[in-house]
Amino acid sequence: MTARNAVRDDFPVLRREFDGQSISYLDNAATTLKPRPVIRAITEYYETNGANIHRGKHRLSEEASDAYEGARVVIARHLGAAANEVVLLRNTTEALNLVAGGLDLPPDARVVGCLDAHHSQLLPWRRVGQLELTRLDEHGRLDRDHFRTLLRGRPHVVALTHCSNVTGVVHPVAELVAEIRAACDAVIVLDAAQSLPHQRIDVQELDVDFMAFSMHKMLGPTGVGVLFGRSERLARLRPASVGGGMVDWVDLDGSVDRRIPYRFEAGTPAIASIIGSAAAIRYLEAQDTPERHRHAQELGAALIGGAVARPGVRLIGPPDSTDRIALVSLRLDDSIPTGEVARLLSDSYGYMVRSGHMCAQPLVSGMAGGEVLRVAAYLYNDVSEIEGFYQALDELVSWIAPTAAMEGKLA
Amino acid sequence: MTDSLLFDAVREEIAYAFENTAFFRKHMEANGLRPEDIRSLADFRRIPPTSKGHYRRGFPAGVLAKGYTLTSPNVMRFQSSGTSGERLNSAIMSYDLARRQATGFGVHRGFDGLWQPGSRPRLCRFAPPNCSDVECATGFSTMEDRILADGTLVLTVAHDLLATPEWQIVKALDEIEQYQPDLLVVDPTHFAFLTRWARRLGRKITSPRKLHMVCGYTLMTRVARRQIEEFMGPEVPIGDMIGMSELGYLGFQCHLGQRHINDREFYPEFVRDDRPVENGEMGELYVTTIDDGLIPRIRYATGDWFTPTGEACPCGSDLPVVRIEGRGTHMVRLRDGRVVTPGAVDAVVGDAPWLDLYKLEQGEDGDCTFRYLPNDTARPGDEAALEARLAETLAPNRVRLESVGYVSCERSGKFQSCVSHLSAEGAR
Ligand SMILES: Cc1ncc(COP(=O)(O)O)c(C=O)c1O
Ligand SMILES: [Zn+2]
Repeated sequence: MTARNAVRDDFPVLRREFDGQSISYLDNAATTLKPRPVIRAITEYYETNGANIHRGKHRLSEEASDAYEGARVVIARHLGAAANEVVLLRNTTEALNLVAGGLDLPPDARVVGCLDAHHSQLLPWRRVGQLELTRLDEHGRLDRDHFRTLLRGRPHVVALTHCSNVTGVVHPVAELVAEIRAACDAVIVLDAAQSLPHQRIDVQELDVDFMAFSMHKMLGPTGVGVLFGRSERLARLRPASVGGGMVDWVDLDGSVDRRIPYRFEAGTPAIASIIGSAAAIRYLEAQDTPERHRHAQELGAALIGGAVARPGVRLIGPPDSTDRIALVSLRLDDSIPTGEVARLLSDSYGYMVRSGHMCAQPLVSGMAGGEVLRVAAYLYNDVSEIEGFYQALDELVSWIAPTAAMEGKLA
Repeated sequence: MTDSLLFDAVREEIAYAFENTAFFRKHMEANGLRPEDIRSLADFRRIPPTSKGHYRRGFPAGVLAKGYTLTSPNVMRFQSSGTSGERLNSAIMSYDLARRQATGFGVHRGFDGLWQPGSRPRLCRFAPPNCSDVECATGFSTMEDRILADGTLVLTVAHDLLATPEWQIVKALDEIEQYQPDLLVVDPTHFAFLTRWARRLGRKITSPRKLHMVCGYTLMTRVARRQIEEFMGPEVPIGDMIGMSELGYLGFQCHLGQRHINDREFYPEFVRDDRPVENGEMGELYVTTIDDGLIPRIRYATGDWFTPTGEACPCGSDLPVVRIEGRGTHMVRLRDGRVVTPGAVDAVVGDAPWLDLYKLEQGEDGDCTFRYLPNDTARPGDEAALEARLAETLAPNRVRLESVGYVSCERSGKFQSCVSHLSAEGAR
């Protein structure tokens, strides 16, 4: 491969080899790799501090608390939020569950969602309300008429997905929010797990009530999910867990909750990972350049171009690169076992890609009719890797389903 | 087969692999070798061994012979999970598998009646999930879902043996009863566990047909064998298979209890420090396939260690006799440089009627823990006696005995009776 991406060197995992072969990590929608500054921040906390936060007056504890709260500020600033509007949790799933459970909706509450939502933005709502899903067109873009129809039912909540982890489509959230605000007074909850790793979001501008995302999908450590909530919304949200760290006062009769956001952070948090999250945000911000965005466009174009050029492969998602991230889901011929292909791509060629239903089974079953192969690139990937991936796929298909490969070539 | 005929077959295999697989051609060329250069055994040994990693990385494009694809007739493909050495993607011709199995069974008189002309044996498999080709073979499937194309019924097995829920055990016992197999192919530790439960539940494991048992997948401990024999009775022939998923039967145990290596479909070598070992010394088994049209393998390092005894076996078979030592990654490495193999550990433990299961684990610091599940026949002196024997075997390293109620399996579901973090670490 020529002209290797300069940031590659920041990711020690990419130096690994399997059976003497270098690896290419293309499962970035599941989680991203971690750059050295993030790893360093985590180790530094363990090597130089290791104390608990908010629990003591001793010097180590104060230092740890400072670093922890400093991380909250860094994250908040990245979103254009106030620090007290940032709740530090374990992952997006926990954040969305906290909102769904904490709104105390009446049992018949209507919730409008999207068909391309991740299970984590479907199941929590199905548990607390009557969930209706906005349809998609054949390429995975929202059916806006259907969305408007559903809004006329005056939902309590609209649960939006900014970017689908299956189709890669980035929905026009600003327009959708404006439509919601004009139509009803629903609480707007945005799943930004797949979008924030690729683009900045300013929560002041984007008028959502809640927004959830996971640091591990944006170069940060695992174990940190962020819930942004407008302070007046957070103030009315019921905490999911109670216990240490979230109360100001406890006596034999009762207790007084701490202020937001602490009342949602019961128990000892993932201190090291949260400190590491600040390093991830700083790293991402430094990478927020026109070059990187051009690079992302090129990766996306290579992914889509490769899929469109192959008759034996069906692209699940739009065949163009407007409003989407560098991610494609591919449906292979029915005779080809997708999971086996993913294994061989990894073990024989070094390409780590995902196979299965992608935690969005209603969508994947509906649009693809079975398991898909998902290829998701990120800032350390190169166009040459995408090309290599498609060549490997061609070669494999010719070994597994020679007839399908031939038909593809003749067609 | 005489040695010279066998070696001719090896040379043919080399020429075939060179002509027809990209990997082996490169492997030879990288070492400045061509098939014509291999005229003697000494020449042959100049070919560096090939490894699992080579075949994993090369599969399929580099290692499948020209003219075949993964969907050619009779090609069976399979994968097994794992991270380091054990992970596998491979394929095998169904008739090669059958041929190797027949050679194996040929050493055990108890298996003579298994293959009747015109009918194939009904086979049930009870082994860890990831050996089982069937999507995890976990509980929520019907018997029909788990019958493979060749008629094998795969029984469901929990990933964590000792945590298997009772309903799953009952299901396995019921299905064996219903399926009426001729042949049970089992992991011995798993099957011994099943017999303990069957006893507790007052159940039998029988078939209206004559039942045969093949044990494989992990080292068969004497403790497991004792329980299986006691439960199944003397009428059921039991053979320990020496096998690998990617190659099938590499050998089998004869009716006199000796392990024989298949030197008909393979050319076996036992190698230590790049040299063939003497009889009575242990070496890693390298195999060269004979007439494997699909994936010919030359000097394939199996990772399994054996001691060839060089002795003839009174059973009548002339297939070479070996003692099983165990996997290279499971060897216990002592501070004085000695190595204690899983086979040696098992010999020290013996059939220990007072315990049901054991696992010896060498930690990264070199010290060992021996965990065991005692049964209700255990007497006060038993542990002390075993402790003394293990301490002597493993000195100067320390060993601690722990009587426990539970021991975990590996993530693959396999239960290994002897593992070493030192050896596993060194292999990485
Ligand atoms: C769109 C979307 N939402 C939510 C999630 C869940 O994230 P987490 O597993 O971090 O809770 C994912 C992760 O796959 C996702 O892609
Ligand atoms: Zn014999």
